Amino acid sequence: MISFDEKPRLAVADLTQRQEPLSYDDAMHLVRRATLQPTNALALRYMGQTPAAAVADLLSKTATVPPPSWATTPPQQGQPFSEYARLWPELQTWWYRHAIGTPSLRERMVLFWHNHFTADYITVYVAQYLYKQSQLFRQYAVGSFRELATKVVGDPAMLIYLNGNQSIKGNPNENFGREWFELFTLGIGNYSERDIVEASRAFTGWRVAGLDGVYNAQLADRDTKTILGQTGSWDYQDVVRITLEQQACPRFLARKLFRTFVEQHPSDDSINALATVIRSADYDMQSVLTTLLTSNAFYETAVRGAIIKAPADLVVGLAAQYGMLEVHPTAMLAVMTQLGQEIFYPPSVEGWKGWHSWITSSTFPLRQRFAENFILGKTASGASLTDGSGQPVAPNPIAFAKSIANADDPRKIVEATCKVMLAVPTTQEQRAVLLEILLSGIPDYEWDIDTPGAAVRVRGLLQAIVRMPEYQLM
Amino acid sequence: MDRRRFLRNAGRTGIALATLPGVVDSLSMRALAHGNDAIDKLLGSGDRILVLIQMAGGNDGLNTVVPITIDKYYTDRPTIAIPKSSALRINDDLGWHPAMQGFRDAFDAGTMAIVQGVTYPNPDRSHFRGTDIWLTATDADVFASTGWLGRYLETLAPGYPATLPDHPLAIQIGTSISLGLLGSQGAVGISFRDPDEFYRLVNTGSSEEVPSGPASDTPAGREIAFMRDVARSANVYAKVVKQAADKGKTTVSYPTSDLGTKLKVVSQLISGGLSSRIYLLSWAGFNFDTHANQGGVAGTHANLLRELSEAVTAFMADMKAQGHDERVAGMTFSEFGRRVMENGSQGTDHGTAAPLFVFGKHVNGGVYGAHPSLTDLDDRGDMLMRYDYRDIYASVLLQWLGAPSTLAQNVLFKDFAAKALPLFNVSSVGNDTSRPMPVAITSIGPNPAVDRVRIRVDVPPLSTAGITVRDMAGSVVRTAGVDAWSGLCEMDVRGLSQGTYVVTLTADRYTAHSFLTVRR
Repeated sequence: MISFDEKPRLAVADLTQRQEPLSYDDAMHLVRRATLQPTNALALRYMGQTPAAAVADLLSKTATVPPPSWATTPPQQGQPFSEYARLWPELQTWWYRHAIGTPSLRERMVLFWHNHFTADYITVYVAQYLYKQSQLFRQYAVGSFRELATKVVGDPAMLIYLNGNQSIKGNPNENFGREWFELFTLGIGNYSERDIVEASRAFTGWRVAGLDGVYNAQLADRDTKTILGQTGSWDYQDVVRITLEQQACPRFLARKLFRTFVEQHPSDDSINALATVIRSADYDMQSVLTTLLTSNAFYETAVRGAIIKAPADLVVGLAAQYGMLEVHPTAMLAVMTQLGQEIFYPPSVEGWKGWHSWITSSTFPLRQRFAENFILGKTASGASLTDGSGQPVAPNPIAFAKSIANADDPRKIVEATCKVMLAVPTTQEQRAVLLEILLSGIPDYEWDIDTPGAAVRVRGLLQAIVRMPEYQLM
Repeated sequence: MDRRRFLRNAGRTGIALATLPGVVDSLSMRALAHGNDAIDKLLGSGDRILVLIQMAGGNDGLNTVVPITIDKYYTDRPTIAIPKSSALRINDDLGWHPAMQGFRDAFDAGTMAIVQGVTYPNPDRSHFRGTDIWLTATDADVFASTGWLGRYLETLAPGYPATLPDHPLAIQIGTSISLGLLGSQGAVGISFRDPDEFYRLVNTGSSEEVPSGPASDTPAGREIAFMRDVARSANVYAKVVKQAADKGKTTVSYPTSDLGTKLKVVSQLISGGLSSRIYLLSWAGFNFDTHANQGGVAGTHANLLRELSEAVTAFMADMKAQGHDERVAGMTFSEFGRRVMENGSQGTDHGTAAPLFVFGKHVNGGVYGAHPSLTDLDDRGDMLMRYDYRDIYASVLLQWLGAPSTLAQNVLFKDFAAKALPLFNVSSVGNDTSRPMPVAITSIGPNPAVDRVRIRVDVPPLSTAGITVRDMAGSVVRTAGVDAWSGLCEMDVRGLSQGTYVVTLTADRYTAHSFLTVRR
């Protein structure tokens, strides 16, 4: 195949484990990539620890949020549209509470799997199914990909989303079978049209009953089929087994993991190196993520700030950095939607494309408006941010400055704010301009964090930083 | 000075032939002509606009343009076929889906072209790969990171994006930017949903800017440069777009559907004088991906087709009422058609070839190509190709956008000029005296013809001119030279079967089209 896309790549990733303790910058880098909440406090927690200790701690954390009241109640037969639609925003709110809860690698992976095994509420319709699917992702977030993939085949949201529940023996629907190979396991070019037909036969037998996907072997096509070169009377579990035996499967996962955690354009050698890890771990994600996030490759200077934040990173991250955990989720979810990432509604079965697709002439200015207004306690359109009870809430710039630096020194405030908010180093000139913005007219020896004029000045500094393109990187 | 006089003067005053358009590379001519309005206008169709409508998800072509006389269509689709009695007549063998009254009216008025069986060799049945292929205009096994529109448009703005043209080169109505609009230096267009919202977004922030660091060729450095370019074009164009939208008007009532709303914005911008050449609209999410319960005469697919037909009809009526139909044409596309045989869930799985629509006042309406066979199928049970989608792109580039053939070849990575369909009847654009049209077919007689036909043309006296006659499947059936001084061409049409043929006049790089009917 010919490719016109010859973007420079980093050389082969060194996946050996880094032993050196984490510096503050290293720890910020880790929490930017591994969680949705890159805060100063979290970085301080891991500073001085080895990568292995820090990642082990991140893996152990879980955000716990009570399920929605309707989570396990099947919808009533014949209930009106509004009764279904009423639950969709509640489902999204439930997700947001996880994202803003205890910072964890698990929630990063829940989003990863939602973007991998996609489904949307317009197609699935029944919020209970999507709740169930999200819980499946949470359960297997850092578990076995093999088990997760097997469960996904009979997941009710997936059965509806890709018509598995309408695929019948003798006349299978190919929707799931095609995406299984193309988007879930192998990637294009690693299977044939015939494999799609045969796998689609093997995926028959599933129906949705109540809130469950139910397999009925009597309804499944158990005749002989040939899938990826193997012939037998295969069922869906055989398809999973045969698919995961392919060399292409760990490579496909490895590329996605690189793009999520390390860099956009991994070299083939880097992908192969991680694929080998995935295979020898038999798809155990805890082991794979530990290797990746403790590797020398992950901490290379060249990959710092190399990833464009998804709307979830921007929105949840900003709220977390200013301790604004109580802002009503509706406003935050609405911004994510406007920025192109409506949770439980990816644009297609391919999920969110990420990278440059996040940044357009519409979304870039909106990212800037959202962030600088947030600093003022306002939404992008200028309304006040409120908490659950409708009370206005706003970040406290003085408390923020005091929490990250010796706030008596304006230079230290600028330096520390840049380090916590920007994934790339700033230049002397940039810091000089930021210092001018912070001081806004007063001489530096008159700086006093405890005067009434300080808050507006720190806000000015924060707004200038979140407007920078650099702020969109992580 | 019109082109004819320019050329005659050139002949008299002894300007070397090598400086004439069509003889030199048109890009260097563009550079020569920069700032000279008259010559600029000679060189192309500088203000023509193309509206591209993407039917994402894979439109079921068989239920859009229905092969009403093919029994296999009905036996293969027991639950979703469109009955002959419901289809809106196209000709003896084809009918529109009943939701497409507006497209039918345009077809009957001669302003709607149906190109049958459009795909490419070794078609891909993946949504994402298929869409990328259509947007990047590559062979099925070639991966490109730029889009065909991006590659074309960036040649119109040397120095882009460091130097931004006064108006955006392309506009996508929405918040994402299509791969089709990516050029070698990033997107050559902007996207927004609503001009007022776009303006407010860009102009409500503080003006204090932190300077950029030195450009650095690291991954992060490249992303920062990318974002600065996006931000700058948003800043520059938000005002331009708002001014056009404020000045522009619409004259018809648009459907309140998503596509109707988007086309209304396009109309306002064109009306307000925005000189963007390309508008790209995608709508309906992936709803054309009708794997299950797609419906027949009514239902999911019918609703989508109705939305398309009604919105486009309103838009074209609006363009006509405002006199912009002279320079606005539209085209639909979708990543693939769907399988002939319906599946077990009253839907259709991913297929290959499908019809594509081109519409506008200067479109040569009609059906291009015979319907693909429903018995001679590929190994997956999908229809075989009649036209490569790039044949249509070549028509758009060469005939409508006025790209020189070398440029069209560069944009499409291969030379499709010879396969371009005569989709556009551009000679009548010359009605506008400010845009002289250098070539025209002035008469064909007798028409209908039986044995001999005489074609009179208007071409520059120094040009090399020829006539090509193609049947509606695009095959060349006659060629003949033209005497440029007398403008006369005689041709024997005995041996051609009864039917309609497209007559194409080429003179240097200009083309004009007309129709000839042969009677037996």
